[in-house]
Amino acid sequence: MTSRAARYLALYIASIAVALSASVVLVQATGGEWRTVLSALLDGSILGPGRWGQTLGAAAPMLLVALGTIVSGRAGLVNIGQEGQLLMGTAFAVYFGFRIGGPGPFTIIVLLVFGALGGAVWAMIAGGLRFRRGVPEVLTTLLLVTVAAQAIAFGLKNQSLLLASEASRGNRNQVSAQLDPDSRLPVLRLFGNEIPSAVFIAVGLALILGFVAARTVWGFRLTMVGRNTRAAQRFGISQSRYGMWAMAISGGFAGLAGAVMLAGGGFQFGNFRLVPGFSANIGWTGLLVALVAREKALAAIPVALVFGALRTGSGFVSSTGVEAEITEVIQGFLVLALLVPPAVVFLQDRRAARAMTKART
Amino acid sequence: MTESGVGASAPTPAVSLRGIDKRFGAVRACNSVDLDLHRGRIHGILGENGAGKSTLMKMLIGLVLPDGGRIEIDGVERQIHEPMDAARLGIGMVHQHFSLVDALTVWENVSLGESGQLDSRSIRNRVGEIGEHYGLEIDPDARVGELTAGLRQRVEIIKCLRRDPSIVIFDEPTSVLTPEESHQLFRAFRDVVAAEGRAVVLVSHKLGEILEATDDITIMRQGSVALRTLTEETDAPSLAHAMVGRPVSLRAEGAALGLTEAVADDTPDESKDAVDDIEPPVLRVEGAVATVGRGTRVLDDLSITVRPGEILGIAGVEGNGQRALGDLLSSLLPLARGSVTVDGAEVSTSRPGAMARAGIGVIPEDRHDSGVVLDMSVAENLVMVDPGRCATRGVIDRGRLHDNALRLIDEFDIQCSGPDAPLWSLSGGNQQRVVLARELDQGPRVLVASQPTRGLDVGAIEYMSERLRAAAASGVAVVLISSELEEILDLADRIAVMYRGRVVGEMARSEVDIERLGLLMGGAAA
Amino acid sequence: MDFLNAVLDIFTSESTYVNAALFGGLLLFAASGEWIAERAGTINISVEAMLLAGAFTSAIGYHLSGSAAVGLLAGAVGGVVIATVQAEMSHRLAADQFVVGLTLNILTVGLVGFLDRQISTTTQKAAVWEVPLLSDLPLVGTALFGQPWPFLVLYAIVPISWWLVFRTRWGLEVRASGEDPQAADVSGIHVNRRRRQSILYAGLTSGLGGAFLIFVQIGRFETGIVSGRGFIAIAAVIFGGWTLRGTVGGCVLFAGALSFRLSLQVLGYDQINSEFLQALPFLFTIVAMAVFATRVRPPSALARPFVRGLK
Repeated sequence: MTSRAARYLALYIASIAVALSASVVLVQATGGEWRTVLSALLDGSILGPGRWGQTLGAAAPMLLVALGTIVSGRAGLVNIGQEGQLLMGTAFAVYFGFRIGGPGPFTIIVLLVFGALGGAVWAMIAGGLRFRRGVPEVLTTLLLVTVAAQAIAFGLKNQSLLLASEASRGNRNQVSAQLDPDSRLPVLRLFGNEIPSAVFIAVGLALILGFVAARTVWGFRLTMVGRNTRAAQRFGISQSRYGMWAMAISGGFAGLAGAVMLAGGGFQFGNFRLVPGFSANIGWTGLLVALVAREKALAAIPVALVFGALRTGSGFVSSTGVEAEITEVIQGFLVLALLVPPAVVFLQDRRAARAMTKART
Repeated sequence: MTESGVGASAPTPAVSLRGIDKRFGAVRACNSVDLDLHRGRIHGILGENGAGKSTLMKMLIGLVLPDGGRIEIDGVERQIHEPMDAARLGIGMVHQHFSLVDALTVWENVSLGESGQLDSRSIRNRVGEIGEHYGLEIDPDARVGELTAGLRQRVEIIKCLRRDPSIVIFDEPTSVLTPEESHQLFRAFRDVVAAEGRAVVLVSHKLGEILEATDDITIMRQGSVALRTLTEETDAPSLAHAMVGRPVSLRAEGAALGLTEAVADDTPDESKDAVDDIEPPVLRVEGAVATVGRGTRVLDDLSITVRPGEILGIAGVEGNGQRALGDLLSSLLPLARGSVTVDGAEVSTSRPGAMARAGIGVIPEDRHDSGVVLDMSVAENLVMVDPGRCATRGVIDRGRLHDNALRLIDEFDIQCSGPDAPLWSLSGGNQQRVVLARELDQGPRVLVASQPTRGLDVGAIEYMSERLRAAAASGVAVVLISSELEEILDLADRIAVMYRGRVVGEMARSEVDIERLGLLMGGAAA
Repeated sequence: MDFLNAVLDIFTSESTYVNAALFGGLLLFAASGEWIAERAGTINISVEAMLLAGAFTSAIGYHLSGSAAVGLLAGAVGGVVIATVQAEMSHRLAADQFVVGLTLNILTVGLVGFLDRQISTTTQKAAVWEVPLLSDLPLVGTALFGQPWPFLVLYAIVPISWWLVFRTRWGLEVRASGEDPQAADVSGIHVNRRRRQSILYAGLTSGLGGAFLIFVQIGRFETGIVSGRGFIAIAAVIFGGWTLRGTVGGCVLFAGALSFRLSLQVLGYDQINSEFLQALPFLFTIVAMAVFATRVRPPSALARPFVRGLK
């Protein structure tokens, strides 16, 4: 193992240990027993019957959001509005999915396509403002999240938009109609687990994205635009064109995540209905996955799995007497801890690199 | 031998460096350097780019920590860990770049880095006082971002002098000055030094300047001191020899060494004048007008023509639109009026990559800004103009990419660990070779070289000059934009002087008159 | 006609202004600190976490001591703790400030939610201090000068913030760090130190903002007590073009909109739907940024981390 990899490994082990210790301390200090919490987490995420499938089902949309974030990151853009893009995608999917009739499989396609479209459109608003008016996308994507949430809330109050008819919604307010069983994404039954097809979609796209980024001319140009826009412009790569595409794809992935949550998420996500709180922080978590995976598509797969496991595991934690919020705390500590090793290595590298290039006055 | 040539009864040196060592990884920037600076004298530190003089000064100023050795100020050993320490010890530096904040006013900038209360009135008064005293008048409330390069240097000088330093270091100050202004600056050194008993240090890679302005000279070469002497006891050839480490023909290498006279006196090859007037120009820029920000014109009705095989030298003090011209020809600056034509066909100034597609190759002024992508590999940087060449149906063929890189690495003698080495791991000179290789490999009709030898050592400078001559000889129209007059005089067939965004005078190389050039550069009518 | 009458009613009723002052007070606490942090070149989306932590710790402080003053101090401490994590990770360890901010938000919500169930606090609003004469002003008198006493802290925070940035050397260095960190560094300024300090200041004011929520506006702690208001504060800074005047204006505008909506609801009017009004501050800010894009300029180095040698 190279010394660099060894440094990384040591730093990661150390920081994860610190994060986990802090979590243990917190649990113990508030009267819990960390061993039971841990076993509840493991039960809830992978050990319990059918839980593997649930974990994969949670990880899949996170992975999709992460992939989209990686694309916009490559282009040098800071997109932190995935939560909003996800919601908009789901809204589009619901709106068009219920209005465009057709056989089951066709509806599924409609859901996915319009889901991606909705997210793309939402992200392109920020993209347009960035490339036409120079407004930093980090700010607009962030602000648009609340706008999206409010728009969805509004839509869920109107039958002409997203609200289900009285008949189909029973005594609930602000929910959409439920998808027909044959308009739902199929699941693969394996070893007693239901693995949503969203997983295969997400992993497949991860592989494709990894290839495109590293091996194609388009990916090459996208990387150039992100690393040095002026050089890219000199060589015929228009920052606004590639940037808009990157934003659209980024939002599209988030919207697609929403669509697969709707069409294949089951009880985890609203049970095939758009409900208040539907996004369940998947957008934010997906963003974190991308950042923790350091913008590498293949690395995002295991990271998404871990975050997904934490999520599904948390469902079992509250029965141990410890509040379910502990998983968010653990997640938070872990992410902070995981930020440390790359930062430290980066700073060390920086010092070494400056030694090799001759500094100009 | 430690004394810098001053008599035995010399007072304690203001600054005394002993055995200074500095290493950046595997590179030895400073190797056991000894140096004495005396009050009342102007000390020149001469050396080619990369010789270690900047690093040495950065240690005095607190931006870099020495790995070994001693620094003594007025005979007392001191540790200089950060700029504040240096300021407290009375050491000040007039920086070339990067020390002024554009968004703040002159008086705010002047007081940056001091400690104690912020008293705007007294600072403003002080700016006025210093300005008057040294003939460096400036409006304390002006926004620095709106000042010309020459005025910005004034602010730097005032900022430095305000702290009343006993040691003033000038780091390559003349690129933003016309020849006349440079002479004025050197005269001001005398005032600062003689009248006020300070020590002045002039750091430069230009032989001519050092000979003109200094009392003592220390020459650095590859991190070590190569020569210590009194200015009056030496001459250009000896200095040149010490700088480069071998006998030097001032005729042939005068330009690289910064010797205006040697190059100016050199009667150019007659055949240069006979560049075909019959051949139509390849590049024609007509009436170019471009603005930035709130309407400031960076190009103000600029027109140039270049013929195949000709080297057009664009002279001028930095900050008069040269960067804008380079950007224009790199598709980085759209024109509000005017046109650019290559071989008679007009080229769009607002579409990315149009200039490159039209056959204009560019070696940019700042390669990190628009010439290379540091994080990408050598191989990737070499195909940036047209990655499609190493791809089939949109997918990059790693093998072809690799072979292409090997070919160019060999042809241009690029020192690197291989085609996959990240560009940031190459030295400045080799990075420049990558840019050159890439641009020439495209077979351009026009080659724009913008400050191409900045930051390069003599060997690299000569290589670049050779390549530019070879390109011209093979029929490429070369535009050489440089604020180093020596370079222009050495290479150009025709010279155009830029001032405030337009060409104010042109002359053939054979008719060059340094004085006239200097006047044009300063904005006087032709 | 009816509706117009209702609007007139709203504008002439004291409670509208009181509500606006309450909403705006919170925003301004957070925004005056974040303004300085952004002038230094940082964006701290963890303002949300700072407010929440401040609210929680101030409730605990009051619970343990019975004094609102102690509660305020405790609130400030809570905000500073969050700010310390943000500052150290982003501007000493060079971790991405957005990730850190986002994580802190999620972490704090979780942590506070978790602890809240363990500790139950009883708090109440602080005593009202009416400023003589001024509190008798028509309409705005009670709103601005007749509130529980922690409200008055705002009258100190805003001018102090201005004075810090424009009349002290520290402020000059903060501004230089936000505009051109390379030049500031070469001139001898500790750029990252100034950035960290300004984030800590933001933590201080936001922590006080959290305490404000407890002792002036709501009276007791609940986990949803902040819900997005931190982001509105950031929006106010941006909307205000990174000037303090503009930030105050933004806070007033957004608070006014929130209050207006509340009054409409009370009167039974749902014409202007509540979602639109909730989204209004954000929409306002986006539109303002788009329209004034060429004239309003963020600090040049905003959101760009500084590492010496890195451009």
